[in-house]
Amino acid sequence: MGLEVKDLTKSYNGIDIYRDFNLSFPEGTITCILGPSGCGKTTLLNIIGGITTPERGKLIGFEGKSFSYIFQEARLLPWKSVQGNIEFVMSSELSVHERHEQASSFIRLVDLEGFAGYYPSQLSGGMRQRVSIARAFACPSDIILMDEPLKGLDLPLKQSMIRWFSQIWKADRRTVIFVTHDVDEALLLGKEIIVLSRPPVQVVTHEEIEELPESRSLENDMFKSLKHVLVNALEA
Amino acid sequence: MNISFTKKHYIGIASVFSILAVWKMLALYFDSSFIVPHPEETLLTVIRLIGSKDFLHVAGATVMRGIIGFFISAILGLGVGIIAGVSQGINAFVNPILITIRSTPVISLILLALIWFSSGMVPVFIAMLTMFPFICTNVVDGIKSVDKDLIEMARFYKVGRSKIITGLYIPAIMPFIISGASSAMGIGWRAIIIGEVLSQPRYGIGTTMQSAQTFLNVDVVIAWTLIAVLISYVFEKIIRWSEHKIVIWK
Repeated sequence: MGLEVKDLTKSYNGIDIYRDFNLSFPEGTITCILGPSGCGKTTLLNIIGGITTPERGKLIGFEGKSFSYIFQEARLLPWKSVQGNIEFVMSSELSVHERHEQASSFIRLVDLEGFAGYYPSQLSGGMRQRVSIARAFACPSDIILMDEPLKGLDLPLKQSMIRWFSQIWKADRRTVIFVTHDVDEALLLGKEIIVLSRPPVQVVTHEEIEELPESRSLENDMFKSLKHVLVNALEA
Repeated sequence: MNISFTKKHYIGIASVFSILAVWKMLALYFDSSFIVPHPEETLLTVIRLIGSKDFLHVAGATVMRGIIGFFISAILGLGVGIIAGVSQGINAFVNPILITIRSTPVISLILLALIWFSSGMVPVFIAMLTMFPFICTNVVDGIKSVDKDLIEMARFYKVGRSKIITGLYIPAIMPFIISGASSAMGIGWRAIIIGEVLSQPRYGIGTTMQSAQTFLNVDVVIAWTLIAVLISYVFEKIIRWSEHKIVIWK
C-alpha cells in the first residue's frame, strides 16, 4: 500500500496554503518535493510527521509509522559526542550494548570512524551533517523526512553529502521524503521529483529518474534538459 | 610544570604590588599599627593565625556555614528555578519575590534574623537568602535559553520525557548553574562574615574580627580579611575546576 495525502486543507493567517491537496508517495524510494521558498513544503513535512494538524484531510498509510528527520542544521547536542548524539534518539527498549553497536555501525557508514568520541564543536559543518544522516538511519524509523538538509552547502560538498546519503540508503531502501527549493539537489537525489506551485499549492509537474543517485551527473544531456523542465515548472 | 607568563599575568602581578606599595606608604605615613599596620607585620599575623590552635575552629565554622548555606540555596534555587523556567505563570509569581529579596539591605535581614534565630544560624540564613536569588535567576535564564531546535528535534524523534530532561535540559543549563553558583558564593562569603560580626556565634571569622576590632588589633582584622579572601578564592577555583570537568564540550 502506498502513502497518500488526501484532500489536505491547511491555512495560515487566513491564507490557504493547501486546499483539497492530494499527493501520493511510493514506498521504498526517495521522493523529492521541489517548490519555491515559503510555499509550505515544511508544513507538508510537519503534517506528515504529525507535528502540525491540518484543518481537513487524511493521511493514508502513515498510521503507526515512525519517522527520522534530517534538518537544515545538523541539530546535534553540543554536550554529547557523535556516538552519544546518535544513541540519544535510539529507543530505550534497546540494550545499552545494542544501541552502542548500531550507532557505531552507522558512524562507520558515514566514514566518521575515529570521530565517535568527538563533540560537534570539533567537527566541520559537513561532518556534523553526516552525523545527522547517520542519526536518521540509526533510528529504526519507517520514513525519513528531510527539510532542505543541503541548504547553504557548496556544490562539491552537496555532491559528497548526496553520495554518503545514497550509500547508506541503498542498504535498507527506506522511504524518504525530501523537500528542497534547489533543482540540482532534486536532480541529484530524487527518484520521484514533484514540483509544487505557490499557495494554494498544486502539483505543477511530476518527473521520475531511474538512474541511481551515485551515478548521476548534472553535465549529462538528459539531466540538463530535465533541469530546464523543472526550472520552468518552478517559475510557472 | 611549564608555566608561560603572558603580559596579562605581569600586569596582574604589578597590580598586586601596587596595592602593597600604597599600603606600605600609608603605614609609613601614619606610623601606627593601631591605624595601618605594615604589610609584612600583617603577613606574619596571617601565618601566626593559621598556625594557632583555634584556626580550624574559627575558619572551619565559617566555611561550614558557607557550605550549608550554599547547599540549601542550591537545592531551593534549582527547584524553584526549574519550575519558574518551565512555567511563565510561576515565573511571573516568583520574580517579584526574588527582586525583593535581592534589593533588601543585608543589614535588615540580619537584624530580623537576630530576633528569629540562634546566633549560629543567623549567618547561614543570611547566606541562604543572598545566594538563593542568584542561583534561581540563573536556572530560569538557563532554561529559557535552551535551543528550541534541539527540543523540536528530540520531540520529532519521540525521545522520552525523562531522557529529554536528563540528556537535554540539564546539560544545557549546567553552565548557567555553575555561573550562578560562582556569583552566589562570591557574595555569600561577605554576607556570612557580616552575619557573624553581628550575631557573634562562638566560632567564626566575623566573631574573631569583631573582638580584634574592639581591642584595636588592626593587623588581626586585616589578617582575617586576607584569610577570608583566600577562602573565597579557593572556592571560586573549585567551582571553575568543576566547570572545566563538567562542561567539557565547550
